[in-house]
Amino acid sequence: MRSVAVALAVARKDLASEWRTRELVPALAQFVVLALVIANFGFEVDSRTSAAIAPGVLWMTLVFAGLVAFGRAFAAEREQASLEAMLLTPASPAAIFAGKALAAALMLALCEAVLLPALGLFFGVSLTLEVVTAVLLATVGMAVLGCLFAAMVARIRARELLLPLLTLPLWIPFIVVGGQAVQVAMGAGGGSRAGSATGLLLDLDILFVVLTSLTARFVLED
Amino acid sequence: MSRYEKGAIAAVVLMLVAAGFIFIYAPEDALQGAPQRIFYLHVSSAIAAYGCFAVVLLGGIVYLWKENVTADRLARAGALVGVVFTTVTLVMGMIWAKPIWGTFWTWDARLTSTLVLWIIYAGYLMVRRLAEPGRQAARFAAVVGIFGFIDVPVVHFSVTWWRTVHPGPIVINDALPPQMLVAFFVTMASTLFLAAVLIAIRYRIEVLTDEAAERVVTAPIAAASKAGSAR
Amino acid sequence: MSAVVASSLTQRFGSDLALDAVDLAVDSGEHLAVLGENGAGKTTLLRILATATRPTSGSLEIFGLNALVERRLLRARIGFVAHASGLYPALSATENLEFFRTLHGVDRGRVPEVLDLVGLAEVAHRPAGKLSRGAQQRLAIGRAVLHDPRLLVLDEPDASLDSGGADLLGRVMRGRTAIIATHDHALANRLCQRTLELRRGRVVGVPTRLRVVH
Repeated sequence: MRSVAVALAVARKDLASEWRTRELVPALAQFVVLALVIANFGFEVDSRTSAAIAPGVLWMTLVFAGLVAFGRAFAAEREQASLEAMLLTPASPAAIFAGKALAAALMLALCEAVLLPALGLFFGVSLTLEVVTAVLLATVGMAVLGCLFAAMVARIRARELLLPLLTLPLWIPFIVVGGQAVQVAMGAGGGSRAGSATGLLLDLDILFVVLTSLTARFVLED
Repeated sequence: MSRYEKGAIAAVVLMLVAAGFIFIYAPEDALQGAPQRIFYLHVSSAIAAYGCFAVVLLGGIVYLWKENVTADRLARAGALVGVVFTTVTLVMGMIWAKPIWGTFWTWDARLTSTLVLWIIYAGYLMVRRLAEPGRQAARFAAVVGIFGFIDVPVVHFSVTWWRTVHPGPIVINDALPPQMLVAFFVTMASTLFLAAVLIAIRYRIEVLTDEAAERVVTAPIAAASKAGSAR
Repeated sequence: MSAVVASSLTQRFGSDLALDAVDLAVDSGEHLAVLGENGAGKTTLLRILATATRPTSGSLEIFGLNALVERRLLRARIGFVAHASGLYPALSATENLEFFRTLHGVDRGRVPEVLDLVGLAEVAHRPAGKLSRGAQQRLAIGRAVLHDPRLLVLDEPDASLDSGGADLLGRVMRGRTAIIATHDHALANRLCQRTLELRRGRVVGVPTRLRVVH
């Protein structure tokens, strides 16, 4: 299907550009490690409290890294000119949006590949499949929402303020549910809730992927 | 007297009637005493806010679909009035909470989601103000309004989905004595009427604002072309 | 036969009136030059004609279709060279064109064809950001004709073109309807049959017929 080909081409193009310039991912990875270090000093972490604090640190770091990663997908002047060039083709705006969100999600996922082991190392928590799954599922939902509003605020003044203001309220379900799933997996809660949390994350993903696909074209073009 | 003035007076009268029901007709709560009377306006405001945000949602959808300016103006009005009622809900809640819970605020699901609701629609108003006036502001705000409305059912069902300090649904669960129930329905009807009047007035303001903005731009052009043709 | 008919195009940005009731008509195969100082509204007008933005009011018909409604359909037949190239500096010329080829759904043979047409075959593998400004402009022009559009809209393409640029423009404009914004009257004379001048968002004078040049 052409839309899928378009989305994949857009994603590949963004990832190839990032691979060659290496601007975003190394900076995000550094930020992530720094955040963990600061959390360690700020939160008085010791072996008793680390399992309780780790999920909170994980999600806070993800939120801030996400705001940067998704904000960049549409922010730069050059990005705006490129976006317009893409829109002036028969390709559907929803497919273009999906490609950009996919690339941004993958870039954030690369940072998570640094964040999760580092978290495990510094905070002594276990990294189970449930944790990884919860984080990846939340990344998808956060990516589509973050990219949609990033595309919106790119054209507006006060974008640094507006992006978190618009995005964070809608990210709360992912943080809450993802937080539950991770807490359980890191050994701080009841077992059966992790499975339902993962299911809920999947439902949220589906809801927001559909909604953002439907509204993307109103945000991307006039 | 214009119909807006008539509507406003009617709304005030109805609210006074509701006040009568709240303070005179309804009995004092055995457990909580006088603070419990905040319940009537607190809950009514919340429901009025839901209604306002539903107007924003529908207006936004119609605007995206048909680019109908009326729909956009209704949405703008609904958002502002909705934020006002959400503020009232939060403030009354805090006033009620202090004597009953001993604190103005707690981060339970109902309070948190309501605060988030406030933030979302404050964001809506900011987007409207900061985006390019006209089609862009209308489109972006419509999208924000559509996503924002997802929080409304969350706020409403938060007390059933999670364990909260905030009391659960008592009107629906028929846990109110009949006199309180009557007072509640009177207050709710009056509040909804007030909300409708406020939206109507605000809608009219939006129409006038749009027209004034258009005149500001076309006036210099009209003057210039008159000067041109006079030459 | 009219390819482009614009009627009373007006563009307002807040309280700023960028275009004021502009009328315009271009016949099929005709080349129109849009002249005017910086800030006269040339870019605003061209962006509307290329369906990149919609006007505040007015109507636009391209190839018989309502351009404000049928934008997706028309974009397959319009090529636009904008002020900002929107090219990807980290990708090579070939990769840039390949990417847009996919978006347009065009046959892959077009990419080497276009590279030859704009004279970039030799530097096709160099990252676009490392190309000279002239070469980048050639690439932007190449991208605009990748899908063989019937209408070509060019916003000051001569600004950063190197020598031989005028020839290239002549080559790509041949056989297509073209609207080109430029400061260069000599270029306009050479490439176009008619001119239209904008001043402060309005059309001044009457669209003039240029001497027919070979």
